[in-house]
Amino acid sequence: MNAKRILQVQNISKTYGKGSSSTTALSGISFDVLKGEFLGIMGASGSGKTTLLNCIATMLKPTGGKILLNGEDVSAFKGSALADYRGNKIGYLYQSFELLDNLTARENIILPLSLHGVKNADAERALLPLAKHLDITEVLDKFPTQMSGGQKQRVAAARAFISAPSIVLADEPTGALDSKNAKTLLDKLSSLNQQEQKTIVMVTHDANAASYCSRILFIQDGTIFHELRKNGKNEPPEMFYERIMTVIAQLGGGSANVL
Amino acid sequence: MYFKQILYNIKKNRKDNGLFFATLLIAIVAFYTLLSLESQDVMRFLNALEGDAIQKLMLLVPIIYVVSLFFVFFLVYFAYAYQMENRRREFGLYLMFGMKRGRLFLMLMCETILNSILSVFVGIPLALLLTESISLTTARLVGLGIIGHQFSLSPTAILGTVGGFFLVQLAAMLILSVRFCRMDPADLLKQETEAAKKPTSGKQGIFSFLSGILLLAVAYVMGVTLLRAFGMLPTLLILIFGSLGTFRLYRGLGSFIERALTARKSQKSGLYTFTGRQIQESVVHQHSSLAVSSLLLLTALTCISFGIGMGVGRTGADARACDFSLMGTKEDVTAFIQDEENQNVIGDCYPMFIGNMYYGDSTFSLDGIVDAFETLPENDLRDNIVENLRQDEEYNDLYLIPLKSFNALLASMGEEKIQLADNQVAFYSRMAADSPNYKELWDQALRAGAYVEFTLPNGNVEKFEILPGVYYNNIVADRAITLSTTLVVPDDLYATCARHTSDKTDSADETGQMAEDGRAVGSAGGNAGDVATESGESTPLAGGVSNFAQDNDASTEPDTIDNVEDPFAWNIRLKDDVVKTQGLLPAIMEMQSRLDDSALSYDSYLGGIGRNLFYTVAASYLSIYLGVLFLLIANTVLVLKYLIWQRKNHGRYLTLMMLGAKKRDLSISMGKQIRLYFLLVLGVAVLNSIFAIWSMFTSFVKLPAGTSMLTVIILACVALVCFVLVEVLYICIVQHKSRKEILALHVSERPE
Repeated sequence: MNAKRILQVQNISKTYGKGSSSTTALSGISFDVLKGEFLGIMGASGSGKTTLLNCIATMLKPTGGKILLNGEDVSAFKGSALADYRGNKIGYLYQSFELLDNLTARENIILPLSLHGVKNADAERALLPLAKHLDITEVLDKFPTQMSGGQKQRVAAARAFISAPSIVLADEPTGALDSKNAKTLLDKLSSLNQQEQKTIVMVTHDANAASYCSRILFIQDGTIFHELRKNGKNEPPEMFYERIMTVIAQLGGGSANVL
Repeated sequence: MYFKQILYNIKKNRKDNGLFFATLLIAIVAFYTLLSLESQDVMRFLNALEGDAIQKLMLLVPIIYVVSLFFVFFLVYFAYAYQMENRRREFGLYLMFGMKRGRLFLMLMCETILNSILSVFVGIPLALLLTESISLTTARLVGLGIIGHQFSLSPTAILGTVGGFFLVQLAAMLILSVRFCRMDPADLLKQETEAAKKPTSGKQGIFSFLSGILLLAVAYVMGVTLLRAFGMLPTLLILIFGSLGTFRLYRGLGSFIERALTARKSQKSGLYTFTGRQIQESVVHQHSSLAVSSLLLLTALTCISFGIGMGVGRTGADARACDFSLMGTKEDVTAFIQDEENQNVIGDCYPMFIGNMYYGDSTFSLDGIVDAFETLPENDLRDNIVENLRQDEEYNDLYLIPLKSFNALLASMGEEKIQLADNQVAFYSRMAADSPNYKELWDQALRAGAYVEFTLPNGNVEKFEILPGVYYNNIVADRAITLSTTLVVPDDLYATCARHTSDKTDSADETGQMAEDGRAVGSAGGNAGDVATESGESTPLAGGVSNFAQDNDASTEPDTIDNVEDPFAWNIRLKDDVVKTQGLLPAIMEMQSRLDDSALSYDSYLGGIGRNLFYTVAASYLSIYLGVLFLLIANTVLVLKYLIWQRKNHGRYLTLMMLGAKKRDLSISMGKQIRLYFLLVLGVAVLNSIFAIWSMFTSFVKLPAGTSMLTVIILACVALVCFVLVEVLYICIVQHKSRKEILALHVSERPE
């Protein structure tokens, strides 16, 4: 069973500031992510969900606890090991795409591989099937300014998956997209998860986006408040969506409090 | 509170942005250096000697001041633009906290004024230090020693500096403050990212790039071949083609870089593509700025080369021939020289004879020279010389210098004497000193076998071969004597053919007036009447100073010229050890005061220095000043534009770090970008400069004959090393600043 545990978050805590002015963002969160899982993290604003994701992504150093990726403590990484972890062992998908606008889609996508010493010609071989899957083949030689928002986010997704990372972290990936493009993206992520067994952790406050996940953690005041699992592949998304909405209502105060 | 905030901002900005303050200081130093020119040692000295010329030069200063104001404005504008870009978020917050736009504007203007005051307090002493060093160095370089150096603080220059500086600062800040204060807080708070621009489409870009190269090539060829004539149209065309070519080249450079990048990237990894794209983008976004900076650098290099060339040429060409030329009766001159005190300092004294071709019984023919010229390829200069020779013949206008006089001059200067065989003469022309083309053409004609024919008083026609080589040393201490066609002839020939004193009652008029067409026929200035007005035997001077000094054979030569007329002048050269111990300037000045007490009229080498220095200062000082100013402006604009652009790209570096780029790799990539960015500007500027300087020195700024090439090459190397050092310094500043910014980056700064 251990072999399937990609990520282990053990008693993570994060406090900003010192002394009387300190604020606790996370207080002792623990969970595992299994290989091939599509995990959603939901919570109200300020609940600590982005802090949690940033800790996993090594953008923040947790105050306490451990984060193990394939058994290695990522919070202890420094220098080369840290750079190797970023973009190689984890992929990251941002709400604002974070594409380099002076690079073409092709160059953006293969950038993580280039940074880790793979020659561009070799990187191209990994690029083509992924581009086909995400339906971005025709924009590969375009610059981000020449693409739609949906295309940009799919290019960003391709960049997150190109190095075959152990896990892809997505921070509100549909936040800047219209509903049509959001659906297309989620369909693609979902199919990558199901067909290619890609492991994804997604932070979202959108119940619709969360309904694509196989499991959802609800966070409140820095602790896990609730956990929802999809009932196998048979549960229709509408039903899972209903259940998500119920938990959100239980979080207190309905969507106003969640969003 | 408001005022405290202003003071706090100034302090913070000064700490954060050393480059900005350095730029302001450069502006102050540039203004003061120019405006204090009049009170510098060299100028004060020149003013005493060549007052009128200096006054004319000083009329140029306000014009250059206005030109400098214009360029310094851009310097200051970019410095402030960089500063304001860095603070835009701060301005957004002020507005969000309820500060009125007017108050923000007032705050920025107050900061500017206080900044200016602070810069003036630091800048003026710095400028004083610099101008004093320049003053001392120039004085030392031109051999004046440090005599008479006096600390010069010019109140008018300070007023002009402060006024110009404030004007430029306020104008630049006014434009920027209005722009920033009009922006919405949301726009200010958002870190501005450079709008991505697609490079000009491949074919269009390559066409632009190639047409740029073609235009530049045409400009180069035209510069080297057509500029010799220095017509208005070719000059204008060269400027248009050159500038347009540079702009087109930079416009298409982005596409060229893309091609190079695409061709090579498949075998590359790491940040290769990113670095290439960054450089390409910086070129695409800033192609106009790059072209302007490159042209400014070209102007800077050309101005500095022009200044060095002129300076070296002017000071190098007029080697010190003699220190004084005395005009007076032989008795007076002898009495003066025999004075014991004078004997201790006078090294050589010899009479300098100059005579006209006698046109009573003897005539001459220059056909042999004309024929030699006609064997040479036809050009305007050759035709002019031939025409002048014909006129000389027609008006019997030929000057003669006896060999004895000329050899005495050469010996005194430590140069090899002329050896004339039977029926040989040598050619002398002062014009060769100023026109290398003229000298070269004469050299060729003389090598082609030029000769003259004299019809002697006895009716015999004798042919004289002219020695190869043109002589052009100044034959008196000053007076800018410009003898055009002159022959150095054996003494007996001089005695026979040169005008006898008994015949030349009107010699003053004949001795020289400058022809109006610039064809010099010999000028002895206004004092010509003092010369050789009466006959009388001229014997060697007694008292240890001999006539024709060092000429041991003098007594064996026929008693010829000494009996024919008084010399044009008596040349005196001070003893070398006196000059060495006292310094040239004080030694000459001391002798000058003694001469003033005597009845003799004289010209001194100081007058010559004055004239030389005037040209040196006028041409080289101002052009070097402008060159350095352009150099600083071009580099500072380049640096600031780069830093502004880079600041807008911060997000990219954060993303790269999230994707696994190491800070070290990012620093290396940035270093490559900076070096290539500078190289792109410098490369074109240096290439353009090579052709510009080549064209310049082969056309209107020919180095005068006799200019030591070694000196020119050494100075050119020194200037090049200085230029490279300045560039390396700027590159280091940008690299240091960029590295610091990279090290300060942290992935958690990424905007949500």
